[in-house]
Amino acid sequence: MTNKLRALLTGAAIFVGGSASAAECIAPANPGGGWDFTCRQIGKIMYDIGEVDQPIQVTNMAGGGGGVAFTTVVNERNDDSDLIVAASQATATRLAQDAYGGATADQVRFVGAIGADPGVIVVAADSPYQNLTDLLDAMKADPGSVAFAGGSAAGGFDHLKVLQLAKAYGVEDVRSIRYIGVDGGADAITQTIGGFTQGMTGDMSEIVGFLESGDVRAIAVLADERVPGFDIPTAKEQGVDVVAVNWRGLYVPKGVSDETFNDWAAKLQAVADSEEWQQAMADNGLAPFTVVGDDFQAFIDKNIADVQALSREIGIIQ
Amino acid sequence: MDILSNLALGFSIALTPWTLMLAIIGCFIGTIVGALPGLGPSNGVALLIPITFSMGLDATAALVLLTSVYYGAMYGGRISSILLNIPGDEPAMMTTLDGYPMAKQGRAGDALVISGVASFVGALFATIMLALVAPILARVAYLFGPAEYFALYLLAFSTLGGIASKNQAKAALASAIGLGIAMIGIDNNNVTRFTGGNLHLNDGIDFLVAIVGLFAVSEVFVFIESHGRGSALGVKLDKVTVPWREIWSTRWTMLRSSILGFIAGVLPGAGASLGSFLTYMMEKSIGGSKAGFGTGVAKGIAAPEAGNNAAAGGALVPMLTLGVPGSGTTAVLLAVLMTLNITPGPTLFANRPEVVWGLIASLLIANFVLLFMNVPLVKIFVKVLTVPPALLLPGVMMVSFVGIYSLTGSYYDMLLMIAFGVMGWIFRKLDIPTVPIILGILLGNAMENSLRQAMTLSAGDASFLFSSGISIGLWVAAVTGFVAPLFLRRIIKKPTLPEMEVPDHAKPID
Amino acid sequence: MNLSNGKGDRIFGVVVVLVAVAYGVAALQFKQGFIVDPVGPKTFPLIVAGVSVVCGLMLIVKPDPDPEFPPLRTVGTLLMAMLTLVAYAYAIKPLGFLIPTAIAAAILSYQIDPRAKFAVAAGLGLSGGLYVLFKFVLGLGLLGVPKGWF
Repeated sequence: MTNKLRALLTGAAIFVGGSASAAECIAPANPGGGWDFTCRQIGKIMYDIGEVDQPIQVTNMAGGGGGVAFTTVVNERNDDSDLIVAASQATATRLAQDAYGGATADQVRFVGAIGADPGVIVVAADSPYQNLTDLLDAMKADPGSVAFAGGSAAGGFDHLKVLQLAKAYGVEDVRSIRYIGVDGGADAITQTIGGFTQGMTGDMSEIVGFLESGDVRAIAVLADERVPGFDIPTAKEQGVDVVAVNWRGLYVPKGVSDETFNDWAAKLQAVADSEEWQQAMADNGLAPFTVVGDDFQAFIDKNIADVQALSREIGIIQ
Repeated sequence: MDILSNLALGFSIALTPWTLMLAIIGCFIGTIVGALPGLGPSNGVALLIPITFSMGLDATAALVLLTSVYYGAMYGGRISSILLNIPGDEPAMMTTLDGYPMAKQGRAGDALVISGVASFVGALFATIMLALVAPILARVAYLFGPAEYFALYLLAFSTLGGIASKNQAKAALASAIGLGIAMIGIDNNNVTRFTGGNLHLNDGIDFLVAIVGLFAVSEVFVFIESHGRGSALGVKLDKVTVPWREIWSTRWTMLRSSILGFIAGVLPGAGASLGSFLTYMMEKSIGGSKAGFGTGVAKGIAAPEAGNNAAAGGALVPMLTLGVPGSGTTAVLLAVLMTLNITPGPTLFANRPEVVWGLIASLLIANFVLLFMNVPLVKIFVKVLTVPPALLLPGVMMVSFVGIYSLTGSYYDMLLMIAFGVMGWIFRKLDIPTVPIILGILLGNAMENSLRQAMTLSAGDASFLFSSGISIGLWVAAVTGFVAPLFLRRIIKKPTLPEMEVPDHAKPID
Repeated sequence: MNLSNGKGDRIFGVVVVLVAVAYGVAALQFKQGFIVDPVGPKTFPLIVAGVSVVCGLMLIVKPDPDPEFPPLRTVGTLLMAMLTLVAYAYAIKPLGFLIPTAIAAAILSYQIDPRAKFAVAAGLGLSGGLYVLFKFVLGLGLLGVPKGWF
């Protein structure tokens, strides 16, 4: 009898309280974006390969370009060991530019990245610019002669790629380069094919379908090496030393124990090694980029310092 | 024929007992989610993503389920518009204008049947067009640059004056308020505007918060004030029959609206809300003042419903062929396709015919399921009006809160929603229409951005705004839409309309 | 000009003009971003402010007849409803869904139709029924009661 009652009570507890041990992944944006993808894909694979024993629940917490989620984690859930949050280069860029209302990167712990989307520069198929140096020469002669479209707002990651290239090539007045931020990479390509802008700056995953259809040409990929399967020269090969990859990964609250941190790092590593993740990366144009645990924290620190220096130089931040 | 064999391929994939069952479940859930204020089609699709994963559905089955939810939500949005004067989602906003007055006359059943058939016609038209001409239509998006989009948004606002208020100044003021609210947040060039340093406002105010506040919360205030007098609740209902004659009389309205709605859907910057708005305004100007738009006429229901469902189908064109989502919902669908290892883009139709045609077949299935589900179900929906307001209205309110709460998980948006509710109540007292506010919030940022982008591209040369045939055409339409009513009003002596009790934000212009 | 009728629109017109002017002044403070942007962040808000001022003035000059304003007691009831909702917004996160929903729904129900028994039943029924709908039919991540109660 008592057993039955206890079972009933437990049932009721699960009913109203929600299952206690299910971990939660916060996607700091509305469904459909890269962070949402990260949460859902990593959460699904962790469950499929048995790293967690219950499906990871995905919560969308949009606002402030990820800032609302960030400050919520810092202020309200600082010691929640069942919480992971999707992050990407955009998170680091915004932290570097102080776009989260004073929040800083050391208020959370970055667990790791397990894949990266290399930056690309794309022109329409009928563009007169055959390679990156053609394009940069034109910009050197007149920085206002080339307009770019990208999926991020001005000063965001896509815009920074163009500015980095221009600076590395010696374009004098990078501030007079014209850039319009539109709704995502595909929209930016549409504007470029339509001839409204001369170049598109974005991520590899955004352009795969358009390359196949022959509407656009990619003139540079901003990675250390060429992406396997694509005949696109790197910027480095063309004498412009710029690397910009949009990594995808996770952070956890600052207050968790080292044990929890290492535990999540190990789980993330397991996802990175899994067959399923290799497939997901291939399907989405992600390149392997696995940095997990304390190495990743070091990577983030350097990355943020770099972005900060560049943003200050260009005038995005004071 | 090519298309027929493709379609046969599609049906061979999509038409199994298993997928048919999924379609029925999806349509049902979609209709509920669509009808609940605060939960729109994008929530509905997003909610089902984890379910598709945990059920281990394959690509086709998942697509059938999710598109059924998508179309179901588009159908469902009209239900609360008609019965409660609260749009279930933003494209259903225009349906309140004639749907609710009709319900107040005891003809809620007629309104639901007419709108259901109009939804079917719009969605069917869009699905057929998707099958026939999607790859060609994709090219249309290449013709629309910032200058063209700016002219398109201008067209929407230029026709606003005639929307709902007797007082032109109030309609103009309402759209200015909406545009002003849209400016809140970080703009596209990293300038923070009107946030008062509040991080929650950096992304601007979500239009869902505004729409739920202005319509649902203010409706509850109105009920508390009036104790339910003068609403559609408790009105003696006519027997639910199919008003064949009335449906037939709207055939050209439905067809015109389907075409215009579909075109609006195909343009990534426009979407379903603009589609339903433009179709309503078009039919209103064709009908003239004698048609009685805003008092509960069949055409006023058929036009926005055919328009927004056709736009929902149209929005799939840029999503599938370019990977450009034209709306929040298609953005979620896009994400689902990606997780199913399907990358939309210009090569999708050629490379993955089984996916495309499976999708088209499942859209057709969903559409028929929804028609058959909705017409008999009308009787059940109408019963909602017999629920005591003291139970129904608190329920609507709690649903709205949870819907908004699930967006960000913080109290902030809920407080904003209450503020919008108070604002909506005051505006209704003062006969200031609320629809233009929503339109302003929805389109404000896109409109400003397109102007700024156009000027960036032309280095400040304003003639760039009129440099293509499309933009000149849209400007001419916009100026005509703004000026023509001013002159027409003088020329045509309007017949005096009979005095009717209509809701505050649904009064005819004259 | 009859000053007593149309007071509502006149007062509102004055409020609109004041808010719009403040809005415009705030817009003037925006600094031009760091990149090419001929229109800039000020132009559009200034246009919006200008249109609003014109509309506000038109309301002051040519107001509509006043609507029926509710008596003071009703305004008090509405204020009460508003405060209930504000309290609800703050309570739902720390206290979970079930309890605040039952209380808030019951209060609103009573305000629409003052029958105490019905209101309590409506509150309890809505709280439970909606919880089942959201949690189990729609699968929203909703907390029923505060964490750690069980």
